[in-house]
Amino acid sequence: MKKLNLDEITSKQALLDHNLAEGPEGTKGITRRAFVKNSALVGGCAALAAQVDALSHLFSSEAMAAENGKYAPYVLAQPENVIYTTCLQCHTDCQLKVKLWDGALAKITGSPYSPQNYLPHIPYATNPQDAVKIDGKLCPKGQAGIQTYYDPYRVRKVLKRDGERGSNRWKSIPFDQFIKEVTQGGELFSSVGDRRHYPGFKDVIVLKDAKLSKSMAGDGVKVGKGDMSIPDFKAKYRGHLDKLIDPDHPDLGPKNNQFVFMSGRIEPGRSELMHWFTNKAAGSVNAYEHTTICEQSHHIAYGMSTDGKTNHMKPDLMNCEFVLFWGTGAYSANFGMTNMAEKVTSGRLERGMKTAVVDPRLSNDASHADWWLPVKPSENMALAMAMIRWIIENRRFDQRYLENGNKAAAVADGEPTWSNAAYLVKIVDGHPLELLKASEAGVGSNKEFVVSRGGKLLPVDPANETSAVEGDLFVKTTVGSFEVKSAFQLLAEEAFSKSLQAHAEQCGVELQTIIEVARELTSHGKRAAVEMYRGPVQNPDGYYAGCAIITLNILLGNADYVGGLIKGGGEWKSFGGASSSPYTFSEMFPGSLTDFGTKITREGGRYEDSTLFREHGYPSQRPWYPFTGNVYQEILPSFSSGYPYAGKVLLLHMGTPALSIPGGNQQIIQSLRDPDKVPLFIASDIVIGESSMYADYIMPDLTYLERWGVPGPTPDVPTRVSKVRQPAALPLTEEVEIDGEKMPLCMEAFVIGVAKQLSLPGFGKNAFGQGMNFDRPEDWYLKLVVNQAYGNDKNDAVPDAGDHEIELFRQARRHFSKAVFDEARWKKALRSETEWRKVVYMLNRGGRFDGYGKAYGAKTMTYNAYGGMFNLFVEKVAKQKNSLSGVYFSGLPGLKGECDASGNPLVHQEGYPLRLFTFKEPFGGQSRTISNYWSNVALQPENKIWVNSEDARRLGLQSDQQVRMVSQVNPEGKLHLLDGDKRVLDMVARVEIMEGIRPGTAAASWHYGHWAYGANDVVVDNRLIKGDKRRAGGICPNPVMRLDPILKDVCITDPIGGSASFSSTMVELLPVNK
Amino acid sequence: MEKDRGSRDTEGPEVERAGKDRTCESVRHQTGRRELLQTIFMGAAAVACATFGLDGEARASTCSAEANLAGPLLAPKGLVEGNQLDRMRHELLLAMKKPVSKRKWVMVIDQQKCIGCRACNISCNTENNLPPGVVYRPVLSQEVGKYPNVGRVFTPKPCMHCDNPPCVPVCPVKATWKREDGVVVIDYNICIGCRNCLEACPYSARTADFGDFYGMGTPEIMPYETRPNYEYSKEWKRKPNSDDSPVGNARKCHFCLHRLREGMLPACVTTCLGGATYFGDFNDKNSLVHELLGSSRVRQLKPELGTKPSVFYLA
Repeated sequence: MKKLNLDEITSKQALLDHNLAEGPEGTKGITRRAFVKNSALVGGCAALAAQVDALSHLFSSEAMAAENGKYAPYVLAQPENVIYTTCLQCHTDCQLKVKLWDGALAKITGSPYSPQNYLPHIPYATNPQDAVKIDGKLCPKGQAGIQTYYDPYRVRKVLKRDGERGSNRWKSIPFDQFIKEVTQGGELFSSVGDRRHYPGFKDVIVLKDAKLSKSMAGDGVKVGKGDMSIPDFKAKYRGHLDKLIDPDHPDLGPKNNQFVFMSGRIEPGRSELMHWFTNKAAGSVNAYEHTTICEQSHHIAYGMSTDGKTNHMKPDLMNCEFVLFWGTGAYSANFGMTNMAEKVTSGRLERGMKTAVVDPRLSNDASHADWWLPVKPSENMALAMAMIRWIIENRRFDQRYLENGNKAAAVADGEPTWSNAAYLVKIVDGHPLELLKASEAGVGSNKEFVVSRGGKLLPVDPANETSAVEGDLFVKTTVGSFEVKSAFQLLAEEAFSKSLQAHAEQCGVELQTIIEVARELTSHGKRAAVEMYRGPVQNPDGYYAGCAIITLNILLGNADYVGGLIKGGGEWKSFGGASSSPYTFSEMFPGSLTDFGTKITREGGRYEDSTLFREHGYPSQRPWYPFTGNVYQEILPSFSSGYPYAGKVLLLHMGTPALSIPGGNQQIIQSLRDPDKVPLFIASDIVIGESSMYADYIMPDLTYLERWGVPGPTPDVPTRVSKVRQPAALPLTEEVEIDGEKMPLCMEAFVIGVAKQLSLPGFGKNAFGQGMNFDRPEDWYLKLVVNQAYGNDKNDAVPDAGDHEIELFRQARRHFSKAVFDEARWKKALRSETEWRKVVYMLNRGGRFDGYGKAYGAKTMTYNAYGGMFNLFVEKVAKQKNSLSGVYFSGLPGLKGECDASGNPLVHQEGYPLRLFTFKEPFGGQSRTISNYWSNVALQPENKIWVNSEDARRLGLQSDQQVRMVSQVNPEGKLHLLDGDKRVLDMVARVEIMEGIRPGTAAASWHYGHWAYGANDVVVDNRLIKGDKRRAGGICPNPVMRLDPILKDVCITDPIGGSASFSSTMVELLPVNK
Repeated sequence: MEKDRGSRDTEGPEVERAGKDRTCESVRHQTGRRELLQTIFMGAAAVACATFGLDGEARASTCSAEANLAGPLLAPKGLVEGNQLDRMRHELLLAMKKPVSKRKWVMVIDQQKCIGCRACNISCNTENNLPPGVVYRPVLSQEVGKYPNVGRVFTPKPCMHCDNPPCVPVCPVKATWKREDGVVVIDYNICIGCRNCLEACPYSARTADFGDFYGMGTPEIMPYETRPNYEYSKEWKRKPNSDDSPVGNARKCHFCLHRLREGMLPACVTTCLGGATYFGDFNDKNSLVHELLGSSRVRQLKPELGTKPSVFYLA
């Protein structure tokens, strides 16, 4: 038998010399034996005599074991060893049942309380003692989360670099020193021979006067729009010009904006907290999430189609008769497989549901579907247009639905939604520019629009509920001097601009298949839907493709129908604002700063509304993104290139741009590596990752299993759900103390520490108003939980937890030190015992879950329905110009092709025969699952590059052969890490020859190819910590991906939705000679 | 290797005999299959109690076992209507009220519902705290056809719990046997780690525990790997640098007997995302598994070997 080498195990140091087995102070010595003793006391407590019944089977397994003396008690099925919380191995945020053994995290399953994990779910009132033996479903990623939490490479104390950036040398420093250094700045790295002055937060948070910030903010906008002159602004704020980034461009905002918060994954609860800190306490406009490298254009397409009323809809999978999955599915990733998979498998087998899947790869979904449409990775629009054309040509759209021009017309037909398909659009210089106003047609006011019915023009107000207006769909006429066409006419013209055969050839799908699927889609009335996620939208024309797919749904008129397209059940409000909410956060920030100015990514604002535009006109130096947000890939290039201004302090949280952005990775590393470009770089991470390895400081964070949150609902779930994430596993980071409050080191501790150090508003004494302090995480998060508990109106509260539930609550948290769980201290975050008992009721169940089935009416959804108009023509977009080219965007989906930032067709160099795309395995999640040995090592130790057998033959590739992936922008197939070990990463992986992939393409799954995250050696406090080579397997294809030919330092990007393209790259696979 | 032999108070020859008595007729053919299974399973009735698990429960006075099993039922109706897992959970509770000899556990895996996600594999790993190299429930993936007419078939492959288990007779120390409820078990305290059974199993369902840890070669072996698991309702704690069982043993799927005893379905069943894995008592004619085994889609792995698996597939 193979022996373990004990020396090998024990001589290597953990990142903290912290003995986990003992735990922090207060938990030391809790063993199972001690617990059993303790539990006997609980059972015997006279005060709880009335609850004896409930308590008795709390410990029934123990009792039984004692009785027969034969079996070990199955402690994982005892309610005092279970905490319900919420996952974050992906953003689906499943509800978890976390099982503990003697305080150690032992097992994670799905929660039976949640319709996401047990369908139908158990009644909310079910006693936790009764629920404990019911396990819900959970995907492989979620279950392997134990290894994310128990990652031996976790950082537990603040690390400060002990060499140049990227040197892979670190020293641990006390939290207080860290806070002092990053707030004050100075010669922070003189100990490694660096005499540079590093800025601190105090150097950027210079505008600290709430009144002044409010006044300057208002005038800053006026200056941008040209409604106030720059000299007037300067005169008015004479004494404060030093607080601006550039007094000649006051619309860029205050120096505070040079603090940039960049997060990869951040979710409700924490997200609002970081906006609270960044926008309102620190006064910077620059707080970002990662959305554009995920699926942002899909959200923007939904948002634009619904006037911002929803940004995500899903098929009602439990009742659909046909679903067309487009670049996504129900069996991996998406939103997400745990809640979606069985709805499709049982739907197919037991309800006769049919499915089709658009994907260049035979995904698991496609392999079980009725149709597989292996589209060319970048040609989704052509496929959508083919279907739209066939549906229009064959009159298989819902004409009655589409003719309805306002709510009254929809209601008259029993339709829950309607569209602007019949609205007339003015064509100006050949461009469909804007909707014709009733006043312009002489038939009504300038607040109404116009439809044409039997040649007669009618005014229409979309929201009118009393007077139904219907319009013809095919209209092409002139009104006065205006050339006008109906929105539907414009759509048809675009779809008919090519023949069906030409569309089919362009998208690479057999015409016959396209027709069959289009026929099937239009054969089920409202019980069919087209579902999309990131596949079709992470392309340069992503927004348009998204709109085209939404258009297919509009042609069915299926929104809000049982079996159609639904918004999901929504949630109870966490941040207040309901009549029953105890805490309304928008009214709870005395002294809040007003953040203002152009965002560093130039998102959410128009170039035309800036002083830069008036000075330079078109083209802008870098693109502006008026319709989208969280343009992740644009943050660092802007920050380091100084357009529109240079950044100074970068706080990177749970994100890794160097690894996860598709292209420009070399440039990102160069920026992060260089203090001239990124003057102060603080990373909040759980390990030393591919990007945090270049930081000045790494602040250890808690994993999702050790901390708080109120993640949002999952749109596939029609039931109303409020999720709670709460500390379940023992925090592994160092315990820190701020003003006498002990807490585990985490992001919350950081912002509390910085805010107190600089006396920023919104934190500390009376932060939320008189008598409401913000000194520790629970002061924030418990208020969110109690808001959910009190519901959305008066009689909507959850019950109070009874004494036995309170006792169970305490027992289940006995492994925590007082720094984590201190009942008396937690209660201080609330106002009353009743609030506390409602919180306990929710925490004992991991959130709040409505009754199953409540969401369904006879024909349509009963709550959280959309109930509004769909914009087939999006006027807002049609009226906006691309800031580089000065050319209008389009209000309708159109065949724009693959373009660069300026709208020029992208040209691919010869010699790269395969188009690259990426996908996710069901057990992998981008940058954060390589520590999950059960899945990312045991199931599959490396990813391979998939190619079709036809290509393999043509290119002479053998199965399992090592190849180097090269591209036009990375002909070497290398990534220079510029680290202390001078490493160069080879873009090399093995070939997997498949039938289930479209010829002419190459695919790599997206969770391998790590060069840090425990994969490399690092030195901490002069001790070598050996990396684990198992974590370096496979390839991350991002570093070969195409850069924008104009900008040259950032990937190809959708100029409207902001999505980064993951499929605009042609590659060659060169055999590696060993 | 020193093993604690004291804990074993009964042995398994009877089980072995029951295995040999089985008819070799294939169950792949539909005709009369259900009757056939019935006969086979009833034939296994006269089996002595084994050391641990459900047998003990059946022997014990009903009070403790039944109090445990009948206890946590859901209010108000007890059953979550329309939830397949909940139905099986309730059927399990009913089955557990019967003596062990009256139950016959079978697993049914619907390959049209298997989405190839591997949740079952990970769930099994975490439930049983499996070290590197030990796999109870691999999921095989096979591509069929040529582009563009391609498909993919997933085959989760737990221990087949054969009625005629080839692994049992080759054990030199009688550490493995078939229980009367159909579960093929291993007594870790008797197993000497010779791996004859690994060779004998035509399904490669058994793997050897070489005492590895995922944390080997990293800064620290973390507590999830050293906490005990509860296989066969005993506490098995894995320690680095130790030969104590289950290190050194043959290991395999046991239908999560320790969970069944608690009224809980096997871990792979509760987590199956596609709802593809069914489990229950074939002796209960009203059970879901009994219903499913009336399908023309029923298949078994290598039926020609006459091993008579308790795991069925719906093709």
